[in-house]
Parts: sequence; structure tokens; C-alpha cells
Amino acid sequence: MDYKEFERLLKVCRLRLGEDEKEKMKKDIDEILSYFNEIDKVKGDAEPAYQPIDLPEQLREDSVIPFEDVDAILSNTKTYRFYVIGPKI
Amino acid sequence: MTGIKEFIMKNPDGKYYKKLTEELARLNSELNAFNNINFSVSSGYPLSVKDNICVKGVETTASSGVLKGYKPPFNATAVERLLGKGFGFIGKTNMDEFGFGSFGLNSANPSRNPFDKERVAGGSSSGAAIAASIIENHIALAESTGGSIAAPASFCGVVGLTPTYGVVSRYGLIDYGNSLDKIGLIGRRAQDIKYAFDIIRGSDRYDATCIDMPKGSETQNPIRKLIVLENLLEHVEENVRDSFENTISKLSGLGFEIENKKAEELESSIAVYYIIAMAEASTNLAKYTGFKYGNSLGDFSKDYNEFFTEARDKFGEEAKRRIVLGTYIRSASVRERYYYKALQIRRRIGQRLSGMAKDGGIILPTMPMLPPKLSEAKELSPLQSYMVDMLTVPANLTGLPHISFPTDYKNGLPVGTQVIGAPYEEYRLLDLAETWEKGFRYRFAYNLGSL
Repeated sequence: MDYKEFERLLKVCRLRLGEDEKEKMKKDIDEILSYFNEIDKVKGDAEPAYQPIDLPEQLREDSVIPFEDVDAILSNTKTYRFYVIGPKI
Repeated sequence: MTGIKEFIMKNPDGKYYKKLTEELARLNSELNAFNNINFSVSSGYPLSVKDNICVKGVETTASSGVLKGYKPPFNATAVERLLGKGFGFIGKTNMDEFGFGSFGLNSANPSRNPFDKERVAGGSSSGAAIAASIIENHIALAESTGGSIAAPASFCGVVGLTPTYGVVSRYGLIDYGNSLDKIGLIGRRAQDIKYAFDIIRGSDRYDATCIDMPKGSETQNPIRKLIVLENLLEHVEENVRDSFENTISKLSGLGFEIENKKAEELESSIAVYYIIAMAEASTNLAKYTGFKYGNSLGDFSKDYNEFFTEARDKFGEEAKRRIVLGTYIRSASVRERYYYKALQIRRRIGQRLSGMAKDGGIILPTMPMLPPKLSEAKELSPLQSYMVDMLTVPANLTGLPHISFPTDYKNGLPVGTQVIGAPYEEYRLLDLAETWEKGFRYRFAYNLGSL
């Protein structure tokens, strides 16, 4: 992976790293990606397995299940009246 | 040694739990098994819960600074079911952050092995395995993505069951890799695990991927044949390989038919597993934005990007690495090359492995080495650490049930062996471990909570 691509990824990932951290991570990532080439040795002619076991499709009614303890959910956030406060967009 | 039923019959009083939790707190300062201990527990069979599984009103962080202070307003289904059947919650167990690790080191308080405190406990369910190893009467609710139950169970000398993917509800689990995560159990005896597994398994309206086991799963014929995958033994350290061969001889003496096979397809398992796991992890970690789950930054004058970036400073080094790699793997330009290819190979590996497992249990050492020293494990590069999962990844990648149990002690350290079954063969695996336990006495460094 070239350095420009690595910098682009950090930006996309919203991660900020110090110069030493960057250098180490870049080196580790190159080593790991190079190892991932192992998969080139195997044929990829099967259907992709999105799940490891074939599970039956299970659908449920599209209905509202009330959650009683709303205060407990909001206790994990900063709130104004009954609004959750978030950053500006 | 008492089983769960005998323990419940004896009905210990509040003094028992007070003594247990106080002793735990003392030992915890040396071993870092628990992220928090519930000193108000006063009844029930002691149950610990891995810190990525939600317990209502109890801080649940998955050992990540990103989730510091998060108190879920609900119980995970597995927790709800166990508490409903009289289990007593004693605390949240330590782990590698979000499950990212095989040694228990990716935590603010790295775990230590009860057999030798200079050595690692294994990961990522490090605390769950330590708790099972030090508490006589206890069951640990744990979770595995690529080996996080079997690995620490092996290093800490206890029994770990990783169920078939989808048999235990994942509702209330902090996701790592949705197509890989399985909630399972760690304990000292196969029969205790069987008791708890009966309670937690089965469909759940809150998890669309969770199903009931087919009828008759509890009463299948015992496993008679064990298949050794020779080519996976090549990278196993000599002392563990010698020990494994000795275990195979003992099992042969117990009447098991042993067959040697090779499965070259499995050699790409580590690469396939990490590609899928990182792709899924990087999407799962995107929800930690700094204002929804506990750790709130509070300074809302910043714009969203600045705010989000600051929130993500709290991720540990391994989490950051997986975010970057997973995001790259999912990029439009390389998605076909890595992610889809890995999913295709997963199907081939799954077909090969489950085909063999229908013929007999697949048997392997759980880990390729004895528990290393913390100082040694810290010296490994990330890739070298991933390679340690070589024996636990195949079953995890393909969602097959497996059990790890102690089969030997080398240099005073436990050695574990794993048996992999076909889907829904958990009871056959537990029966096999019980058969083993009749002739092999497990050792423990501590026995807290004796009756």
C-alpha cells in the first residue's frame, strides 16, 4: 500500500495518529496484507458464504415492541429535555 | 467437587458469597480476571459474564476506553436466561479489547495465567477462563470469534465449549464479526457446561440468526472415531505435539478409532478468517461516535468529523489497525480481491471440514504452544500473533461446534486438546469430554468458593 493510500484510509476512518504510530501501523499493515496473498493459492469458484452455516431465513412481524425503560437508555447520553445531544453536522 | 445441582441443593448463605467476592477481589489484583466484581450477589450458582455481553445496569466496556461508563439498559438473552434459572451474577470478566487478541494483553489491565503469573492467560476471553480456573463452583459466559473461548480455556486448564454458529442468541453481545461471533461457556467440568448450555441455547425473537437445534440433538450416538489433521500439526511446537500424541494414544486406549487425514484447504484459514473478521469489525466499530454509548466527549462545539475523530482516539492500537485494514478490504477497488474471495474460500473450507466432521470428531491441539510469558507475547508482531490462532480458526471460521479440554500438563502448565464436531453436535462433544474426565484429573492453582 503506498503512503498516499494509507493517509487517505486514515482520513476515511477518522483516525489521527502520531508520526511514530503511523510508521509502525503502515509497516504492520503491509506485512499483514502481504500475508493475505495466501488466498491467491486457493480457487475462488464457490458461492460466497456470508454466513458460516446455512441458516433458514427467519422473518418477524414488522411491529413495534415498546421498550419501557427509556430513562435507562438516555442515561448513556447527554440530553436536553427528551433529545439526545450530538455534535454539529 | 460439587456439580451445579448439588450446589443448588446445599443452598449456600450470604456469607458464602461475601467470602467468595472478597477473595476474588484480592486475587484479581494479581491476575486481572475481572473488570468489575458484583459484591451484592447473595444467591445462585456463580456466573461470570465476559465484558462484551450486556448485563443490565452494569458497566459493560468490552475492555475498551470507547465504552467507558456504558451501562446497558437490558440483559443479553443468554444472561437473562441464566439469571432466570437461578444463576448469581458475580462480575464482568476481562478480555482483549472488543475480542481483538489471543493473549489477553489488549486490555488496560493485561490478564495473567493462574498457573504462572508471568505467563499469559490466552484470549480474548482471558478473564472468563481465569475465573473458571480459580473458582471451584462457577460458570463463565464467554464469546468466541476466532478462538476466544478455546484458546484461553486451553492456557488456563479448563473446559470451553464454542457452540455452532446461531445456536445461542447474540442479542446483547457487543459485535466483533457478525458472521463469526458465538456466545459459549467456560467451566471446570463438561457436565456444568451442559447444564448451562441447555438453558442458553435456542431461538430468540431478538436475533434473526438464532435457531433451535434440530430435534434429537441431545441424544445422538457417542463419537467413536477421531480424525487427526496431520498437516495442521506441522507448525505445532514439539512439546505440545508430543503431548498431543500421548493424548491420542490414551484416547485410542479408551476405544476411539483414530484416523489421520490431510486437508490442504485449511492452510489458508488464517488469511480468510482475518480478512472477513476485519471487514466486519471495521463496520461494527463505526457506531462508537462519542455521544451514544457511555463515553461522552461533551464538547459539542466541534463539528461531526472532529468530534468523531476525537472519540476514536480512545480505541487501542489493535482496534485501530483492524479499522484501517477492514476499511481497506471493503474498498470498492479491492473488495472482490479480498472480501468476496475470502467468503468463497470460507464455503470450500466449511464443506471440507463439516464433511469430515460427519464422519468423526476432528481432533487437534487447541494451541500450537504452551502459554508464553507476557514479555514474549508482547514482542510478537501483529501477524505473528494472528498465526497463533492457526488451530482454532478453522472451526470458528466455519461455525462448527468445538470443545477444548485439558489433556496434559507440561512444565506445570496445562495443555488443551480440541475436538470439532459437525453442526449441532454440542452434546456429542460434551459427552466425549465427560468420558475423558472419568479417567483424567484436572489440576487447578486455586479453589475459591469451595463449599
